[in-house]
Amino acid sequence: MPVSLADILALLPEILLSLGALLLMMTEVFLAGARRGYQALLAALFTAAAFAAFLAQRGGGPRVLFGGFAVSDGFALFAGATICAGLLVTVVLGAGFLAPRSAERGEFYALALLAAAGMCLLVRAEDLLFVFIALELMSVPTYALVAYLRTGDRPSEAAFKYFLLGAFSSALFLYGAALVFGATGRTSLSGIAAAGGGKLLLAGLALVIAGLSFKIAAVPFHMWAPDVYEGASTPVTAFMAVGVKAASFAVLTRILVTAFGAPALAAVWQPLVVALALLTMVFGNLLALTQRNVKRMLAYSSVAHAGYLLVAVAAASRGFSGPSARGEAVSSLLFYLAAYTLTTAGAFGALAALERMGPDPQPWDLDRFAGLAKRRPWAAAATAMLMLSLAGIPPTVGFIGKLLVFKAAVDAGLVPLAIAGVLASVVGLYYYLRVVVVMYMQPAPLGSVPTPASWPLDLVLVATATLVLLFGLAPAGLANAALSSTGLLGG
Amino acid sequence: MLHVGLAHFLAVGALLFALGAYCVTTRKNAVGILMGVELILNAANVNFVAFGHYSWGGIHGQVFALFVIVLAAAEAAVGLAIVLTLYRHYKTIDVTRAERLEG
Amino acid sequence: MLAVSQLGSWLPIALLFLVAAGLALALASVSALVGPRRARGVHDESFECGSEAIGSARERFGVKFYVVALLFIVFDVEGVFLYPWAVLFRELAWPGLAAMGFFVATLAIGLVYVWKKGALDWEH
Repeated sequence: MPVSLADILALLPEILLSLGALLLMMTEVFLAGARRGYQALLAALFTAAAFAAFLAQRGGGPRVLFGGFAVSDGFALFAGATICAGLLVTVVLGAGFLAPRSAERGEFYALALLAAAGMCLLVRAEDLLFVFIALELMSVPTYALVAYLRTGDRPSEAAFKYFLLGAFSSALFLYGAALVFGATGRTSLSGIAAAGGGKLLLAGLALVIAGLSFKIAAVPFHMWAPDVYEGASTPVTAFMAVGVKAASFAVLTRILVTAFGAPALAAVWQPLVVALALLTMVFGNLLALTQRNVKRMLAYSSVAHAGYLLVAVAAASRGFSGPSARGEAVSSLLFYLAAYTLTTAGAFGALAALERMGPDPQPWDLDRFAGLAKRRPWAAAATAMLMLSLAGIPPTVGFIGKLLVFKAAVDAGLVPLAIAGVLASVVGLYYYLRVVVVMYMQPAPLGSVPTPASWPLDLVLVATATLVLLFGLAPAGLANAALSSTGLLGG
Repeated sequence: MLHVGLAHFLAVGALLFALGAYCVTTRKNAVGILMGVELILNAANVNFVAFGHYSWGGIHGQVFALFVIVLAAAEAAVGLAIVLTLYRHYKTIDVTRAERLEG
Repeated sequence: MLAVSQLGSWLPIALLFLVAAGLALALASVSALVGPRRARGVHDESFECGSEAIGSARERFGVKFYVVALLFIVFDVEGVFLYPWAVLFRELAWPGLAAMGFFVATLAIGLVYVWKKGALDWEH
């Protein structure tokens, strides 16, 4: 296997993230004083450097790395930059959330950086072996992160649930990969596409889709999501909802389009993905409706958003749409991922800002939002903006994302699916706007303890809300970047 | 006559997979569930090596299996650590009794 | 139907089993026949280390056993990568050495972390 220095340089973002993680681990054992604020700063610096490295690599054509194990193409760079943005928000959230609870440790940031390195490797994987290694590098630190902040029994139970289903889904994926290898004799995605195969390949394809469906929390593989999202500490939940989902969607799309893009195979998986998208949109939204617990509501909302993203994946099947329609679908997926990352990370930031310290039976009840507009008008306005974006109401980036995804679906001939998606998002309006109504129309309950303001959390709220509005008003830049990032995926 | 071929190994792999899936879905003991996951991973390993040896030649299947072994160990280590934290809170590793989150 | 020639190819394995079983039997019986019998007192206790041999097997172990076992597994299994590298040491040359050096350095950082955290401290 020829390894050149250029190949290693192409992995600069992942190298930066890993080195940052190792350095943070060492600070924890050698420099662990009472003040650990510098750790968040260090983590943020390494994350920002990785983000910049992804941006700096844009512009070059697609390149194959390490003799076909990985690629460096626009798709990987865009998705990688999105993941780093999500990580940056997580780091700031972690600083604001953990420091007052005196739970700030180097391990938190080290695990998050390691998991993000796995995610960034995952989006550029071009071989099933590389996919599996990156998948585990993403998942294993995330299991540990969920168990972080063991103040109550919730995190350990959530971590166990997440670990079990995560390990099970990895195993399903691996068994599917073994069958694909048996059918084709290859593990590289382009090699699988060139070899083709019979029933064994289809069985492998089904298991691979099932395994990844757990990771993206698509209905009916979603049952872990609400419990785990609720049980994990809020910055970790934001990281899972944003990073794990974005990376898993990117690799799912790459595997389906590159390895199984032949018309005969696409004819098999497209209906499957359409069914998953339909179920996920409908049940995600319906289950979110009844939640008074805002953290669970956001968990179901993240399930529902997986449904909209699956619409874009279905539209990207090559068997039914031409190359231009496929490019449109992939770019809409990338744009939606970026929009979703910003908005969801911000929304969990709002939740973290309202969380009280110490034991609290109902920490995330809707009542916590009551009267927020009076007490903290800026936080309320930012939260309202994020909720509008989640609901897909103009002038926010969430609206543009939904518009692009549904347009791509129509252009790919999936009109009924697009209509179902629009109807499902109308259902979604209710529970997102309910939060806004409670903030602005209801007085704060008597005897409620105001939560102390924390500037990192406020920074997250204001920054994400501003970006959500900015990209909503002027989406051309982001949309063009997404469009130019689709020249990928082995033709 | 007895000739051990690809079909035998695939049968063993499928059996391991089925046993692992059964174990994951029915066991109440957290460590038992963990062992079920390991069974599925090793079922895939058997398939990789068998396919590599009988169908395609080369060492591709074996290399894959090698990496899976290492990753499975890392995963098991984190998994057992999580089981330990679960035990510290509930004083049991029976998953049906360690249940406080709704639904 | 088993042809004789095919049976022949299994003969070494059959012999191996026979020899192994015979050796085990022979050693056990020789020890039972000529060994002195003083199975009492300190002879029943475990030698220098280990847990009590007599008693319920379902007894609880201290949590530190688990921690050490976990650490051992992780560091032990990583060693798997050293073997293919050692076999191809000359072909991989300097890039291989550099990559393996980086890999081992990462493991060493992990070990330093574990050490400084006190996970290897048995008395603690």
